[in-house]
Amino acid sequence: MSDSNKVILLVEDSPDDVTLTLRAFKRSHLMNPICVVRDGIEALDFLFAREAYADRAALPLPELVILDLKLPKLDGLGVLKTIRADERTQLLPVVILTSSKEEQDLITGYSLGANSYVRKPVDFAEFLEAVKVLGLYWLMLNQTAPQRTPQ
Amino acid sequence: MKISTKGQLATAMALATLGLIAAMIWWANTEVHEADQQRRQTSEIAQALNDLRMVSFEYILHRTERARRQEEEVAQRLQRMLAAHPIHGPAQAEVLADLREHTQSTHRLFGEFRAGTAAPQPGLPVDEATRRFEAQLSSRLLILQQESLAAALRLGDYATARINAAQQRVVAVIAAGLLLMALTTIGGALLISRSVLRPIARLEQATREVAAGNWGFKLDIGSADEIGQMARHFDAMTQALRDSFAQIEHSNRELAALNKEIEAFSYSVSHDLRGPLRSMDGFSLALLEDYGDKLDDEARDSLQRIRNASQRMGRLIDELLGLSRVTRAELSLRTVNLSEMVREIADGLDKQQPDRKVRWEIADGITVQADRSLLQIALQNLLENAWKFTGKTEHPVIRVGQQRHNGETECFIADNGVGFDMAYANRLFGAFQRLHHESEFAGTGIGLATVQRIFRRHGGSIRVQARPGEGATFYFSLKEHPHERLEQGHPAG
Repeated sequence: MSDSNKVILLVEDSPDDVTLTLRAFKRSHLMNPICVVRDGIEALDFLFAREAYADRAALPLPELVILDLKLPKLDGLGVLKTIRADERTQLLPVVILTSSKEEQDLITGYSLGANSYVRKPVDFAEFLEAVKVLGLYWLMLNQTAPQRTPQ
Repeated sequence: MKISTKGQLATAMALATLGLIAAMIWWANTEVHEADQQRRQTSEIAQALNDLRMVSFEYILHRTERARRQEEEVAQRLQRMLAAHPIHGPAQAEVLADLREHTQSTHRLFGEFRAGTAAPQPGLPVDEATRRFEAQLSSRLLILQQESLAAALRLGDYATARINAAQQRVVAVIAAGLLLMALTTIGGALLISRSVLRPIARLEQATREVAAGNWGFKLDIGSADEIGQMARHFDAMTQALRDSFAQIEHSNRELAALNKEIEAFSYSVSHDLRGPLRSMDGFSLALLEDYGDKLDDEARDSLQRIRNASQRMGRLIDELLGLSRVTRAELSLRTVNLSEMVREIADGLDKQQPDRKVRWEIADGITVQADRSLLQIALQNLLENAWKFTGKTEHPVIRVGQQRHNGETECFIADNGVGFDMAYANRLFGAFQRLHHESEFAGTGIGLATVQRIFRRHGGSIRVQARPGEGATFYFSLKEHPHERLEQGHPAG
């Protein structure tokens, strides 16, 4: 259904949530390859092709970053700040997908430049719905800014 | 020295001066009175001397027995008067002595004159020698009398001089008294200015400084008087205020730290407690979807129960967090149109369950001073309750209005739903308290606790009236202008 070259980066530390999110994507018929990283530092390494991800230097940036807020090493808001501060990634669509319903996280998330803020509901059926809408919007309808490849 | 002592001293001085002036006036009055009497006596003496001269003349001219007797009488009167005359000063005494002597001499001379002229027979010629002697005597007599008169006039002068002296002294004393009083007044004014007005001005400045928040301001008025004492009390008071202020600040910091901790706790509860629930629900659903055909009804039911329980716990966590947020949220009071807000919530409920037909009777134009988002939560809860508990009513009606109760304006939300027994009313607003079985009406039992907390935070309250089978009415009030009460630190100028 969607352009399968468009890579999605999922930044999520809970293996259960990773499994469930991947299941939700599958069930929503979103066939894009999904790369999973487990903490904030790894997410930045992936995006800027450093360390373990040095071989990504020639590859384009992911189409969408799905970012959890509570992450080991560097939290989601820290990752977002770094993404927006770097000119290579400043236009990258970032969707915050988190348990937190705290107003402060919402405000900080948006003010740091998140494109969307989606809360993970307990009810998986609702979660599925949310992921479906998310994929539909960001991977099919939304026209992203021209890509800049990292050197 | 104390101000009151200084004031007493000044008053005593002024009173003493006044007393002195009064005494002086009294003395002068007596003096003038006495001198006046003396002058009268003197003029009487002069009168008597004049009389004496007249009778002496008469005798010398006519030698009548009557004149002789009169001379005797006048001379005696004169002697008495001179003896009775009061003596003031040596000069006066001398004049008086002269007068007495003159009078005696005059009388003696008169006696000699009489003796010399007693013998001649009427009609017989008087010899030359006798006549010469008579003339000599009478002229001496007249001279003496003239001198006496002069002395008497001098006595009168003394009296006048005494009056003048008394007058001068009175003027001098009054002038001195007035000067003294003027000095006392100036001294008093200086005293008031230096020991009262100036320190009071400083005190006034100090109260202003302290009122403006300058807690470090110290008066340091060293004087031992009442104002000095007051200044020391004032300094002690600001010190005490400073201390308690520091203590409050300390407690506030502790409270803020505690609040931060609670926030961090809530955050991790919100985030970490929901994760496992998501897994429970998600993987149960995965089982149902992927292996549903291999499971029997009981297994599917069990999985569904796991999902239901997870979702219920998810809601519980959310509402508990909501309750704690309501407690911690900062109030931002505005005028809110309650009628409009209720109508919006009602529309939302109607849209959620279009199959239900509930009649809404919402009074127009109800406005309150409230925090918009908190009021929204409270009304949402109350209206959802009304909506929920009229679910089994044939013709459901929900009324929202305003009324006066015990002199206060309160709003109400009334429904004709299942209601409840008022015996349980006091349990209604506690967290996790439910009056209905979960199977009858879904809910977590946190909603009304949240609602009550919201109205309490607004300085208001909530109460309920209900009857089983006839519905429930929730009455709530918000303080009419709580923001004014909070901001009345400074009285309007």
